[in-house]
Amino acid sequence: MKRLLALALAIVLALSLVACGNTTDTTEPQGGETAAPAGETGGEEGGEILIGCLQDITGSTSSLGMSVEAGAKAAVEEINANGGIDGKTVVMKTYDTKGDVTEAVNAYITAVTVDNVSLIIGPPVANIANAIKETSEGYDVPVMGFALDPACQLKEDGTPYKNMFCLQPSATTQGDIMASFALKNGLKTFGVLYNQENSYSVSLLDPFLDRLAEDGITVADDMIIPFGAADTDYKTLLQPLVKANVDAIYCPNYTQQLVAIVTAANELGYEGKIINGLDAAPNFNTIYGGDCSNVYYINNINTEDPETASRIAEIEDTVSAPNKYFLGYDAVMVAKQCIEEVGLEDPAALTDAIANVKDFKGLTGTLTMSPETHMPDGMGMFMYTYDNQTPVMLEEFAG
Amino acid sequence: MNALISNVLTQVCITLIAVAGIYVLTGLTGMFSLGQAAFMAIGAYASGILVIRTHIPFFLAALIAVVMATGIGYLIGYPVVRLRRDYISLVTLGFGEAIAALLNRMTTLTGGASGLTGIPRKVTLTMALVSAIIAIALAAFFKTSKYGRQCIALKGDELAAKAMGIHVTRIKMVAFLLSVALTSYSGVLYAFYMSYVDPTGFGWKKSADWVIMVFFGGVNSLTGSTLGAFILSALPQVLRSMQNYRYVIYAILVLIILNFKPSGLLGEWELTPRHIRETVARVRNKFGAKKEG
Amino acid sequence: MSLQVIINGIATGSIYALIATGFALIFNILKFSNFSHGATMTAAAFVAYFLVSSKGMGLVPTLAVAGLAGALIALFGEFVGFRRILKNHSAPTYFFVSSITLGTLYEGLVTIKAGSNFFNFPSFFAEPTVGVGSLVISTSDLVMFAISAVALLVLAFIIQKTRIGRALRAVSFDRDTAQLMGIDSTRIIQVAFVVSGILAGFAGVFLGIKYTLYPTLGSLVVKGFIASVIGGLGSLTGAVVGALLLGILETILLAVLGSGYSTIAVFGVMLVFLLIRPQGIAGSNVQEKA
Repeated sequence: MKRLLALALAIVLALSLVACGNTTDTTEPQGGETAAPAGETGGEEGGEILIGCLQDITGSTSSLGMSVEAGAKAAVEEINANGGIDGKTVVMKTYDTKGDVTEAVNAYITAVTVDNVSLIIGPPVANIANAIKETSEGYDVPVMGFALDPACQLKEDGTPYKNMFCLQPSATTQGDIMASFALKNGLKTFGVLYNQENSYSVSLLDPFLDRLAEDGITVADDMIIPFGAADTDYKTLLQPLVKANVDAIYCPNYTQQLVAIVTAANELGYEGKIINGLDAAPNFNTIYGGDCSNVYYINNINTEDPETASRIAEIEDTVSAPNKYFLGYDAVMVAKQCIEEVGLEDPAALTDAIANVKDFKGLTGTLTMSPETHMPDGMGMFMYTYDNQTPVMLEEFAG
Repeated sequence: MNALISNVLTQVCITLIAVAGIYVLTGLTGMFSLGQAAFMAIGAYASGILVIRTHIPFFLAALIAVVMATGIGYLIGYPVVRLRRDYISLVTLGFGEAIAALLNRMTTLTGGASGLTGIPRKVTLTMALVSAIIAIALAAFFKTSKYGRQCIALKGDELAAKAMGIHVTRIKMVAFLLSVALTSYSGVLYAFYMSYVDPTGFGWKKSADWVIMVFFGGVNSLTGSTLGAFILSALPQVLRSMQNYRYVIYAILVLIILNFKPSGLLGEWELTPRHIRETVARVRNKFGAKKEG
Repeated sequence: MSLQVIINGIATGSIYALIATGFALIFNILKFSNFSHGATMTAAAFVAYFLVSSKGMGLVPTLAVAGLAGALIALFGEFVGFRRILKNHSAPTYFFVSSITLGTLYEGLVTIKAGSNFFNFPSFFAEPTVGVGSLVISTSDLVMFAISAVALLVLAFIIQKTRIGRALRAVSFDRDTAQLMGIDSTRIIQVAFVVSGILAGFAGVFLGIKYTLYPTLGSLVVKGFIASVIGGLGSLTGAVVGALLLGILETILLAVLGSGYSTIAVFGVMLVFLLIRPQGIAGSNVQEKA
């Protein structure tokens, strides 16, 4: 009897799965249908343009994903408030990747085949972009992402994946800028602490060292210290660097780790500079809570720009990574410009338009895409430090 | 839509193979492994690297990878089958962490944290489906074989099983190796379906997820375990619109089953002629009784 | 080997000890590894952050609220996750599965509330470090060490010297007989969960101070698991010793071998240890057949 009940329960569950599947089957294509004819009959008033936002909403990088999502959402609202794109309302749907590559592929396929999105605002995480790049070849939906690692956009033969785009300076550019900044400021000896289990951290290592090598500075192997998720003691890791009293520690890591690393370095009495990637940008200062005058970082945005500054003030309390917010915002605005240029009838024309964006003035700088690499060409970034806890813009570097 | 269904089904089939392995290990033998996913990683990386570097045919690479994983499984299995049960999860957990650390460290071979890219896409839905059916059949065959019965005996009472003359460590080893072979094969399929592997997805949480699937469907029933794996791996896709609530719902559903139907959805029910006959008979009796009443 | 590394190791070990004791307490009484402990730590730390320390109150109220929150969460977990399984007399493996699922549930809820942002406790100490000669010790580590030590001593006193402690030991030894002797074993199990929840709350706050607050903070529970198992299943002293040894071992190997290889070496040492001393550090009061 009980077993029967269980079997019945199982069947109900299985059926409900199928039923749910069917409901998405019936509702989603409706969305797709309304979007598609609207795209075809451009003259018709109303209609929708559906875009996807593929982000880590749960998992260890959820704060980055949610920041990009918030920025993209703000852009969509602004576009709709100003009459949409060609009179059509933009609808954005978020797809959670859970920070997991398998889930990312599922999310991507749901977006492009079930909901028929016109384009996707991609994730700022390299592994996710790596996971979907092969799958994306089979479809005609551009992925406007932010994965620094050039391997996410380029095949092994050096040609770009047709749908994969990175809308911020590549790891090569960013590492190069940080090293140039360090050299310009007369720093001579360096140590490195990087997360070897994190592709973002790894991809920023070589460009930095390469740029140093151009000026004849080599960093000894025992001054390049990797760590992993299982390592919980940053003091022990930092000790050799502090003992050698290097001028600067290069530390391209995520915010959580940076807070712990900077704390540990200061506790050990380290007196040099700590040069970090994007993730030491605000809200690093408020999270860290102490004096971070020895922290230097690279950023996409110019906080001296009044528009940027006023927007930051608005979102400060809700968004953890304002620079990711602006990347998401800009990506949607670039998408708007490209859709207005070529429409949605021909997907190839849209990817082509994105690959050939020229001098787009965004809040993260002036964007010119390179059709060869699908990454920005010569897009500059800004170097910052903190005065106690206040960000201070030091210099703009060309890409 | 079709692409999505075929994609999800392929992934479900790949998971089913691994869960068939977990069923043999946990369902039949009662051993708890938190490092089973590491064998999936070994299968995926070994086959992927072989094909990329040496260009040998896919099937040969798959075979070598499974044999290699089973060999490593033997080394780990040696202490595992001798240790008391509580330690098995600890040793396998440490093993899983060590493998993840190795994959991150051996950058030239594995691509490190950026993952291994450029694996050719060879696996189709048909192939995954056939593989899953074979894997489940293998597990079913093992369950009804003399090994399977010995496994169940030692799961219930290891001392008694020993007294009855069952070679406990050997039987445990056989079950462990079968499980490793199945799991590593699912890794091979995973690599050649996704065409990309990175070291993050093979931690103890993945192994634990598989164990949860087995318990959800019925730890004593292969049919149940399979059903559990099917439902729980498809569920997050169905619940996609719930955004970040979906894992909360997932957890609540599993807790309900554990509390109110501890033997899992199907208990000990199997999809065998005998069980089907019995169930049909019971249904008939019930309705027959109602008519008379 | 510099003394500084050993001190770092002890600091790491003392936080593992807080985790491991909460873990061992539940193992002691229910014979299973409670993997929801990690997510309980995270959730309790977040509750304390939002209710107390984000409003500028100091360490003591934060710890108090975190302990309370941890206790309530653990009680809730006992009720929805373990009570019925206990009543059904299911195998200990069910507790294990249930605890992992509970962990997923808590982590999901924390992500919904706090996944969009980074959080960090404000600095609680005027002086971040204490210098002894050339050695540097974080004030937070020192305070953590002191509070862990006091908490664990209080716990040891309760377990060894009080009526409730005796009842706890009786239930841990043989639940059914204890019940027959007039001990309300459900109540005693609740007490164990409350105490383990308080420890989880403390551990969560200290982890948060050390590594900032994020939804997957509790994954460090794995270290507590390792420590409590090598310590001798269910033995509280063993768990503390195991945790300190694990912390020191990890730190030394990290300093000598560097990241990655140290993880592998820790695994190797653990394996050899289990093979030559299967009863754990403390020896074990758990029979072969549970």
